[in-house]
Amino acid sequence: MKLNIYRFDPERGDPPRMQAYEVQPEAGDKKLLDLLMRLRVQDDSLSFRRSCREGVCGSDAMNINGRNGLACLTSLDGLKEPIVLRPLPGFPVIRDLIVDMTQFFAHYHSIKPWLINDAPLPERERLQSPTERERLDGLYECILCACCSAFCPSYWWNPDKFIGPSGLLQAYRFIADSRDTASAERLDFLDDVYRLYRCRTIMNCTEVCPKGLSPSHAIERIRLALLRRSS
Amino acid sequence: MRLFDGQRAWLVQRISALLLLVMIVFGVLALPFAPPLDFAAWRAFAGGVLGGPLIALLFGALCAHAWVGMRDIVLDYIQPRGLRLAVLSLIAVVLLGVLVRVLLSLATVALVA
Repeated sequence: MKLNIYRFDPERGDPPRMQAYEVQPEAGDKKLLDLLMRLRVQDDSLSFRRSCREGVCGSDAMNINGRNGLACLTSLDGLKEPIVLRPLPGFPVIRDLIVDMTQFFAHYHSIKPWLINDAPLPERERLQSPTERERLDGLYECILCACCSAFCPSYWWNPDKFIGPSGLLQAYRFIADSRDTASAERLDFLDDVYRLYRCRTIMNCTEVCPKGLSPSHAIERIRLALLRRSS
Repeated sequence: MRLFDGQRAWLVQRISALLLLVMIVFGVLALPFAPPLDFAAWRAFAGGVLGGPLIALLFGALCAHAWVGMRDIVLDYIQPRGLRLAVLSLIAVVLLGVLVRVLLSLATVALVA
C-alpha cells in the first residue's frame, strides 16, 4: 500500500515535507496502525504515538486522508491510496505525527475534571439512581484523543482561549453528574465569550469523534443549563 | 458588564434570527397579495400604526444580529488588539448609523402622516 506521510524533524532544521512510502500489509494487518508499525521497521526515524492499539488510550490520533481519527481504529479496507497522514491540524508539531498537547490538557485541567462535593463522606460510596447514571452515557467514554478539538475551526482560531469540544464535553460530564455539587461554579466559569461561546455549532467534533460521542450535543446542554439558570 | 458577553450575545443572536425569519418569510409570502407597492403605498405603510413598529423591529433585529455575527467573525480572525478595536468600532458605527437613519425616517414619515 502507498502512503504519504508528513515528516518534520526540528533538530535537522529542514522545513516539513511529505514522504512517500510503500509497504505490504501482511495477513492479520487490519488497521492503519498495523501498517504504521510495519513501516517503522522500514524506517525507524518515523515518529508517532501509540500505546493500547485498541482505541482506549487515544494516543495515535492523526489526520488520515484529511479526517482526524485513531490509526488503531481505522480499517485498511476502504482507505484511499496513497493514504495521506498528517499530524492533528492546529496543534504544534513536535516531530512527524507527534503533536504538543500541552494546551489541550491545560484546557482539560481548567474545567476541574474531578467530582467536587464538600458534603460529609457517606459511610460507603455516593449512590446514584440508574437514571442519574444514564445521564453520564455518551460523556464518560471520552478518551481525550483530541480528534474533535483538532478538527474544530473555532479551536484552530482561538486555541488559547476556547476550551474546545473535548474539554466542554468533559465539563458537561461533571455538570451532569448527580454527585457533583459545583454545577453553579462550573457554569459561571464557562459563561464566557471565549471559553464556551466560540462554539459555532459547526459539529465537526461530532462528525469526527472516533468513539461516536457528540461534543456538540454536550455543548448545547451546557448552553441550555446556562439559559435555565438565568431565566 | 463585560464588553464581550457570552450568553446574552448568544441569546440576542437566536432571538433576532427568529424575528428575522418570521418577518422575512411572512413578508415574502404576503407580497403577492399586497396592492401595488409604489412610493406612496410604502410611505403609508411605514407611517401606519403597524408598519412603523414592524420596520423598526425588522431593522433592530437585523442590526443586533449583524452585530453579534460580525463581532464573532472579528473575535475569531482578527487577533491584534488595536486592529480589532478599530474594526469593531467601524462595524458598530455603521450598524448604529443604519438603525438611527431608519428610525429617523420612520419618525419623519409618522409625523408627516
